[in-house]
Amino acid sequence: MTIERIETDILVLGSGGAGLFAALHAHDRDPSLTVTIATKGLLGKCGCTRMVQGGYNVALHNGDSIERHFMDTIEGGKWLPDQDLAWTLVSTAPERVRELENEVGCFFDRNADGSLHGKAFAGQTFDRTVHKGDLTGIEIINRLMEQVWKRRSIRKLEEHRAIAMIPDTSGKALSGILMIDIRTGKLRFVQARAVLMATGGGPTMYRYHTPSGDKSMDGLAMALRAGLPLRDMEMVQFHPTGLLAGPDTRMTGTVLEEGLRGAGGHLLDGAERRFMGDYDPKLERATRDVVSRSIYAEMKAGRTSPNGGVYIRMSHLGPDDVAKKFKGMVDRCRDCGFDLAGGLVEVVPTAHYFMGGLICLPDTSTDMPGLFVAGEDASGMHGANRLGGNGVANSTVFGGIAGDVMPAWIAANGGHRPPDEAAIAHEAERCTYPFGRKPGDVNRLRERLMDLMWDDVGVVRDAAGLARGLAGLDAIEAELMEIGVPDGDRAFNLTWHDWLNLRSLVETSRVIALAAARRTNSRGAHFRSDFPEPGDLETSTFTVVRQTGSDLTITDEPVQFTRVRPGESLLVQAVAAE
Amino acid sequence: MPQADNASLTVSIWRGGQDGNFETYSVPNRQNQTVLDVVTHVQRHIDPTLSYRFACRVGMCGSCGMTVNGRPRWTCRTHVSKVAKDGKLQIAPLSNLPVIKDLAADMQPFFDKWQKAGGVFEPSKSRAEPVEPIRPNEPQRIAADAGIECINCGVCYAGCDTVRWNDDYLGPAALNRAWTLMNDLRDSAQKPRLAAVAANGGCHACHTHQSCQEYCPQSLNPTGSISLLKRLATKAYLKGELKP
Repeated sequence: MTIERIETDILVLGSGGAGLFAALHAHDRDPSLTVTIATKGLLGKCGCTRMVQGGYNVALHNGDSIERHFMDTIEGGKWLPDQDLAWTLVSTAPERVRELENEVGCFFDRNADGSLHGKAFAGQTFDRTVHKGDLTGIEIINRLMEQVWKRRSIRKLEEHRAIAMIPDTSGKALSGILMIDIRTGKLRFVQARAVLMATGGGPTMYRYHTPSGDKSMDGLAMALRAGLPLRDMEMVQFHPTGLLAGPDTRMTGTVLEEGLRGAGGHLLDGAERRFMGDYDPKLERATRDVVSRSIYAEMKAGRTSPNGGVYIRMSHLGPDDVAKKFKGMVDRCRDCGFDLAGGLVEVVPTAHYFMGGLICLPDTSTDMPGLFVAGEDASGMHGANRLGGNGVANSTVFGGIAGDVMPAWIAANGGHRPPDEAAIAHEAERCTYPFGRKPGDVNRLRERLMDLMWDDVGVVRDAAGLARGLAGLDAIEAELMEIGVPDGDRAFNLTWHDWLNLRSLVETSRVIALAAARRTNSRGAHFRSDFPEPGDLETSTFTVVRQTGSDLTITDEPVQFTRVRPGESLLVQAVAAE
Repeated sequence: MPQADNASLTVSIWRGGQDGNFETYSVPNRQNQTVLDVVTHVQRHIDPTLSYRFACRVGMCGSCGMTVNGRPRWTCRTHVSKVAKDGKLQIAPLSNLPVIKDLAADMQPFFDKWQKAGGVFEPSKSRAEPVEPIRPNEPQRIAADAGIECINCGVCYAGCDTVRWNDDYLGPAALNRAWTLMNDLRDSAQKPRLAAVAANGGCHACHTHQSCQEYCPQSLNPTGSISLLKRLATKAYLKGELKP
């Protein structure tokens, strides 16, 4: 098998908020460096930053403060976040938003006096979410994409899929990334002095999920195989209201925005009875995790709509008003055949965001020299739960930092490192493995994985279910290894990529289940019906999973309260200091 | 030939490259089903070698544009019941763009023209300075907002007759983006952008067929943006600010 070789100084994997910002910053910091950005789809057109509806949390408004944003993030994360990462996030966000407005060209919504508008978002004590209507992600990514296009020396590898990190001959540092050129089906090794992993997480291994269809946790699967430590892997955020349109449509799982409940939307069971009062006095306005678990309980009790979920009803607020206020959502539902303004729409909790990921420092460096990480692949900023509006802040803040840091790292750490040729050969064989097998039904296995993760490793977990889930994952993996893909034209061969997607998903699913079994308490997104209490905050730990050979090991690491301890607040201290 | 009834759709799909041909498949007809779902069904259950492009599946990324029964559309948000004629669908890649394989078109010419039209913000301030106060009711802000929610799906470009006849024509999306930037008070490249859109293949090449505004899945009106660009360019020309 011939493998084309190319060299670049900096390789960025992913073209969401993190990847695009990293490419821009790296280029602008040192235009003499070659910067290459590789992405699984088209530049800026795949991944999840683009799908951001809500907005961008930033302490830029009068009366708000970095400390307040920080405390909201720590409280929201149930005291599990790495406080230095969270601090870097909130304290860099103001500059990043000014950069987006003044240099990148985003045109965010304004107040009547012309200042930036901040909207209210759940779990926050200040209306700090900067936005562009309810399509904030499109504005951010379109403008970033234009800026990357404009810098013509930034090399683009579109429809390129990263499949493995290749170490150098010492085995200690990264040499480069092995990729599949999706359009030709050929392999390409990109040797780089520094690599940013910004492929985005995306828990698409669940029956119901919101992320972009191209997402399959490839980044974390690669990191795991490279022996890197992953933290908080049990933390999968579920959004309470995903569209439920049946099993045979890609529409199912896509998100219906939070604002529908905020505005007074009702959730009804299959008999059209409003049920949130049975669970929480805040009714539909309870937090995401509470509403998700309540809907899940209704589903378990069998009080479901025809497709097995519940209904959301907006019509009592006046169909015309709803159509005006939630135009985007109403249009989307209408295109898919549903009347959100006047009728009932079936919804279901849906896997939305992955708080877990690669351990890194605030400068985005990792345990492996030459490898940096940003965005949803990185972990520690959000702890047990991510605030709505902190996702795009996270990817753009740390993507930009990576772009600033990598040129300096290269200057201090020298040139290209020769790759471990045996590793390239091994990984090349690994990714072409299905071509040597009898073709089978990859999709059927994927359906099984999604059901297993939903049933046993989903919204509500317990020891028996997690054990069942882990055993089931082994069985699915064993079957996958027996299933092949027809070998012929490897160009733009989606079925081959479906196979590879499934393998990444099974490998990362196992880590989720393992970490979920390890955490015997309930925090934020992680809920154990056999351990429903949050546990002692002072002695909080986070899970760390590592792979050695084919073995996974898991440990608990104590959370370091470097800036504030449970029960304290930086806000109180700020007041006391005055 | 499969029977076209409630239980199945007869779907012809473009296979191969530029010189490919249509092949016909029978796909179960379901109540909740988009054109993207039909294509997905063929790849998953009938022919695993079928190539197509999609990402977000909810009309935000603009990756899944295809020609459906002769008209360009976003397939992830096009319900089959809206477009199927007598249980029949014909699905081809977007027109006016090279075909990579099957339903995947090469969008590069579309993006190149976006840049040629000056479709990028040129800053006048830095991140060290405060954000420019611009009132939401200023006419220019309103004009910029009207055209800003383009998802660069290429549907207007694929549906434009002028693009079909004139290789140099920048096309509706690129010009619409240029118009939003001509209304951005923070932008520092107004003159060169106006020169770019007033040149050969720019706004004056538009024949106002209005297909773009008819087809735009975001309900934008590129024809309107282009006619306002024409006015701006003509005014600048009469004032001597723009060379013919």
